[in-house]
Formats: sequence, C-alpha cells, structure tokens
Amino acid sequence: MLEVRDLTCGYGREPVVKNVSFSLSGGQRLAIIGPNGCGKTTLLRAITGALPSEGTMELDGRDLRSMTARERGRRIAMLHQTSLAGFSYTVWETVLMGRFPHLGRGLFSAPGEEDRRIAEECLRKLDLWQERDRPITELSGGQLQRVMLARTFAQTPEIIILDEPTNHLDLKYQVELVDELRLWTGDKKRAAAGVFHDLDLAFDFADTVLLMAGGETVSFGPADKVNGGDLSRVFGIDVPGHMRESRERWRGFGG
Amino acid sequence: MSKTGGKFAALGLFALVALMLGVGVGSVYISPAGVLAAIFGGGDESTRTLIMSLRLPRVTLAFLTGAALSVGGTVMQSALENPLASPFGLGVSAGAGLGATAVMVTGLAGGVMGAFLLPVAGFAGGLLTVLLTLAMARAFDRRLTSVTVVLTGMVISLFFSAIMDLLSAMNPDYAQRIGLWQMGSFAARGWRGALVLGPVLAVCLAIFIGCARELDLLTFGDEQARSMGMEPDRVKRRLIALVAVLTGTAVAFSGIIGFVDLVAPHVARRIFGAEHRRSLPAAAVLGGSFTVLSDLVARTAAAPREIPVGAVTALLGAPFFMYIFLKKRGR
Repeated sequence: MLEVRDLTCGYGREPVVKNVSFSLSGGQRLAIIGPNGCGKTTLLRAITGALPSEGTMELDGRDLRSMTARERGRRIAMLHQTSLAGFSYTVWETVLMGRFPHLGRGLFSAPGEEDRRIAEECLRKLDLWQERDRPITELSGGQLQRVMLARTFAQTPEIIILDEPTNHLDLKYQVELVDELRLWTGDKKRAAAGVFHDLDLAFDFADTVLLMAGGETVSFGPADKVNGGDLSRVFGIDVPGHMRESRERWRGFGG
Repeated sequence: MSKTGGKFAALGLFALVALMLGVGVGSVYISPAGVLAAIFGGGDESTRTLIMSLRLPRVTLAFLTGAALSVGGTVMQSALENPLASPFGLGVSAGAGLGATAVMVTGLAGGVMGAFLLPVAGFAGGLLTVLLTLAMARAFDRRLTSVTVVLTGMVISLFFSAIMDLLSAMNPDYAQRIGLWQMGSFAARGWRGALVLGPVLAVCLAIFIGCARELDLLTFGDEQARSMGMEPDRVKRRLIALVAVLTGTAVAFSGIIGFVDLVAPHVARRIFGAEHRRSLPAAAVLGGSFTVLSDLVARTAAAPREIPVGAVTALLGAPFFMYIFLKKRGR
C-alpha cells in the first residue's frame, strides 16, 4: 500500500535522508532502526507532510504530497513520543478528536453517532471506557499514551506511523503497546511503521526491518534476515553478542 | 438541564449581576429597576442621561474589552500550545503603547484629531508589532514553533517598551498622560469604542468558534495536529493575525488592561472544560464581567479619584490566578 522510493529530504541544503526506499503492505509491521541522527525521525516527518521531500512517496499509487491534510489524516495516523498534556481535555474528548479528519467543516463539524460509536469502541478495546471523564492532565505517562493510542485507532487509518512511542514508558506499557499494535495489524489490511530506539522491542514488534545509517539505507527486509554484522557495524557495538549476554543475565532471575 | 447548561446559566446570571452593578453603582446609586426604566426610555431626565451617555457606554466598553482580551488570550494560548502565552506577550500591548505614545509626544493627540488618531495609532501599532513578531519568528524558524514565537514576542515587547519609556522620559510634559494610557481606562469614551469593538468581537468570536476543533487539536502541538489531518502553520498564522486585530482594537480605545487575557481563559477552562466550543464563549463572558467589576472598583474605591483599571485587574487577577493554581496543585 505504501511505496517509498529514493526519498530524499532534510532541513537545510544538506539532505538528512538520502535515497531511502521501502514499502509497506497490509498486515506488515516495519521497524525503522539506526543510530541517533541517522534520519529515522526525519523520514517519518516527510511521510506525514511536515517536511518537503523529493522522490516517490505513494499510497495505493497516489502521491502522498498531492493529498490534503484531511485526506492524509483519514488514511495515515501517527502515534508520537509520550509528552505531558498541557490542557485538561477529558479522555473522551481527546479520543473523539481522532475523528477530526472524518468530520465536516465549520458548522458541520460536530461528531456524529458513528464517530461516537467508533470512539467508544476504541476506548473499550483499550480498557479506558471507565476513565472517559478523567482529565488527561491527571494521567500517568503510560495511561496517557494508551489514550493517545486510542485516539490513533479512532482515526481509523490504514497505516499507523510510530515515532518512538515507548520512550519513557514502563516495560509493562511498552509490551502492551506492541501487543495492541500487533492485534491491530492482524486483519492483514492495516499496517504500522515505526521508529524504535530499543532494538529488543523493535524486533519484538516488527516483521520487517529498515536499517539506516547516515541517512541512507543499509538493509531492508524480513526481520529474521537482518545481518548481525550490519547491526554491529552501524551501532558500533557487538549487537548480537550484547543481546545474548543480556539474555544470559536474566536467566538467573526466578519468578 | 444538563450540567454544562446549568453552568452557562450561572455564568449568564453572574454577567447580568456584574452589568447591573456596573451601571447602577457610582456617585449616584440607581436601583436595577431604575436602570431598566432608563434604558427603555422611562424615569427622570437626569438619570436617563447619566445612564445612557455615561455609565452604559462605559460598562459596555469595559465588558467588550474584557471579552475581547479573554477571547484573544484563549486563542493565543491554544495556538501556541502554551498556557502562559497571551496577546500582550506577542507585542500587542507594547506596539499599541508605542503607537499611542508617538501620537502623544508629537502633540497630535490633542483636540478632535486626537480622539481619532489615538485609537488608530494604538491599533496600527499593536497589529504591526504582532506581524513583525511573526515575520521575525518565521525568519528564525520557518515552522513557526511556539517557543520561537513566544520568545520573539517577549524580546520585541521589551524593546518597544524601552523605546516608549525613552520617549516618555524625553517628553516629561506628556509622561503622565502616557503613563495613564498604559494603565488603561474606560472613562469618558462615549459609545464610539463599543460601536467599533462590538462588531469586531462578534465576527472574530464567530470565526474562532468555527475553528474550535482546529484549536483543540493545536493544543497538542503542530506535529500531532498535522497527523490528525490539519495544516497547523496556515491555520495558526490566520488565528494569530485575527487575535492581533481583535486585541489591537480593544486596547486602541481603552489603553492597556493587563491580566484579563491571561486569567479569564484559565478560569473558563477550569469551569467549562478545555474544549473551545465551550471555553471560548465562557472566557468572553467571564472576562467581560470581570473587567466590568474591576472598572467598578476602579471608579468607586477611591472616589472621586479614579484608580487605573489596569492596576485593578492586576491587583484582583494576580492573587486569584495564584489561588487557582495552588488549589490545582493541592489536589
């Protein structure tokens, strides 16, 4: 469904992302990994239209850049890094905001029966229904991120883009988030692509991996075919060795 | 009646009481019945004149000014996703002050011309300063990030205030007048201010409420707003320009009245929730009523002397603001 070919983009004259190509089809979960400053987040920002870019970027054959923000919002949603909520919207109001790209404009912008039904369904699915009247300013980081995930689901997109969504989250919330996204892509029609810092979590989440370094593609393919040598070279540390050691360390713990 | 409906009814009642007090209390006390009689053409001649040509225009202008500043503050805080942002912080007040000061020190503010020139210069000064702030912020940071806008506004405000102080110091004859203008007043402004500000407020408020959902999204920041399907940059630029027009018009007629633009939006959000389709009209009525009561204090507390209303709003607003925040912390 999403086809990115030879994408180049950046902030100034010097491009940050150079000729990156990847594709995403229904049911797929893509992890974009690479060391700090390799252009992962910049790549995501180009996809969401926050940055101008060159190269091909098509959703079912249509150039993403030719879509209006609303059109894009109906098809691609984004889950951002956790942040503090500044304004005291309730959980319900926040999740209902996900319906924005589906609403009319101005006087016709009130959410309808269908919008409310979808928002309720998303809240119930994530066990948030009983929290619906709480202000989001009172939630913990993990709860807030769950609300944001519900809002992303309520947008009923075909693709969810993740920008390090598990940063600052407890392990429990990290695992839950990945599980929810796995369920969500389970219907084989929807897909997710995300930037992850934690390689363990990235491989837990993804079936496909795009490895980047210096703004360029190092490898793109099935997660279980990623070359350990490539990982070690890019991250400057023996990655497979480190992971094995870490696994060993945990073996001793009971429970 | 729904919970929100009840709250709005209470707010309406509060506004009505504020307006009645504003019109009724003063050098001569006039009962609510007397006020209503005068408005509908009854009562004795002198009371009617007092109400229709002095108190009512003054109270109306105070209400509209407070409402305009509060609405401007609400939009600004959301558009810049910063609960401490305000139109004044963007340079509206400093710019308007500089414009008005320029007119005063050149001696143009006297006479019939002055009555026309002062508001025009104040309005133009405020609007141009906001546009300058936006242009400069954009030059630093093409995406118009909130932090850049707030910082640029602050620097430009301080710079213009310094020029204003300099002009004031070099022209001691006008210093007192400049000082008073900076503190704001609704005295002896006639109906002109209300007649201009009223329609401007109505149009702006309608547009803002029409953009209520966009404003809701903007409070989550540009990136999130964009990923939910809107173009934050364009919408933000338009909203901020409108806020400049609205608050520029407000300060043009009555000078700088601080704190309303900061306090009213917070109180409105706390009582009516953060959603803009409720918090915008609530902030307007709350800010308007608060300003009417502040003006009442300003002209009666030390009668026959008048305290600048800007000082009253700050004196009442600052502790109230602290109370709201400490109470929130305490929970």
